[in-house]
Amino acid sequence: MKAFVKTLFGDTANIAGVALIVAVAAVLTGIGHPTWAVVAMPLTAVAVICWLVRH
Amino acid sequence: MDWPAFLPLFLTAAVEWVEAFTIVLAVSLTIGWGASLGAAAAGLGTLAVLTALTGGALSLGLDLHAIQFVIGVFLLLFGVRWLAKAIARQAGLKALHDEDMEFRETQAKIGKGDWFAAWLVAYKGTLLEGLEVWLIVVAFSLHSHAWVFNGFAALAALAVVFASGLAIRAPLRRVPENAIKFVVGAMIVSFGTFWTLEALAGAVWPLGDWSLLALSAFFMAAGQALVPVMRARPRRLTA
Repeated sequence: MKAFVKTLFGDTANIAGVALIVAVAAVLTGIGHPTWAVVAMPLTAVAVICWLVRH
Repeated sequence: MDWPAFLPLFLTAAVEWVEAFTIVLAVSLTIGWGASLGAAAAGLGTLAVLTALTGGALSLGLDLHAIQFVIGVFLLLFGVRWLAKAIARQAGLKALHDEDMEFRETQAKIGKGDWFAAWLVAYKGTLLEGLEVWLIVVAFSLHSHAWVFNGFAALAALAVVFASGLAIRAPLRRVPENAIKFVVGAMIVSFGTFWTLEALAGAVWPLGDWSLLALSAFFMAAGQALVPVMRARPRRLTA
């Protein structure tokens, strides 16, 4: 079961990183600037990937 | 037909099936080809049932935006992990995946067990490697409804990998797994980013569906740019 869950979701660092990417998109959309998310979301994803590489 | 999804689907499936084949091959030396392939077929059967159940459950009139959001997040979870791993391996921070080592480790694992334990290793190996294929097939099919076509892409990869493996009867060590993981990881992150934001904010991507190409190019370029940066900051090598 543990292997099943880890295959689907990854480890906690992976989940936290993706939560941050989604949060950036959700907050920018929520405050009425969804077009900013078009730029901010990919940049956040790269930052998260960078962090995961070092993790 | 969902041709934009064919390449990422086929490549993702091929990488996973190579790993599954290595396990099936190692098990076959203990319990024979018939039983080992039977275990792999049972694993594939479980995945087929899982795909059918998922397809049925998700076609019960759920909100399209909610589905798109969930799938987008799953693709991000999957793609970010693959891309980070590929960059770490390319930068020398993580050991490259070694099919020979995987083969030896599987053999050592089943060396002391009985017939059923070995069968279970082949079944579980195929099932776990295939889970990521299932996830990608479901993700792309929810968007395009091309369940049969996308399933065919995954099965085509399976046929190519297992036919090649059975022909040489050895681990498929020459498959450029890391390069494939890098490209597929970038594509999957692109799809995840695109769908998640579209689910949250509607049609905000300036180029519409063409933004996917721009996103893929961006993530590939950023990934390649990160490799020398990460290489310049060495840390302990991990498996």
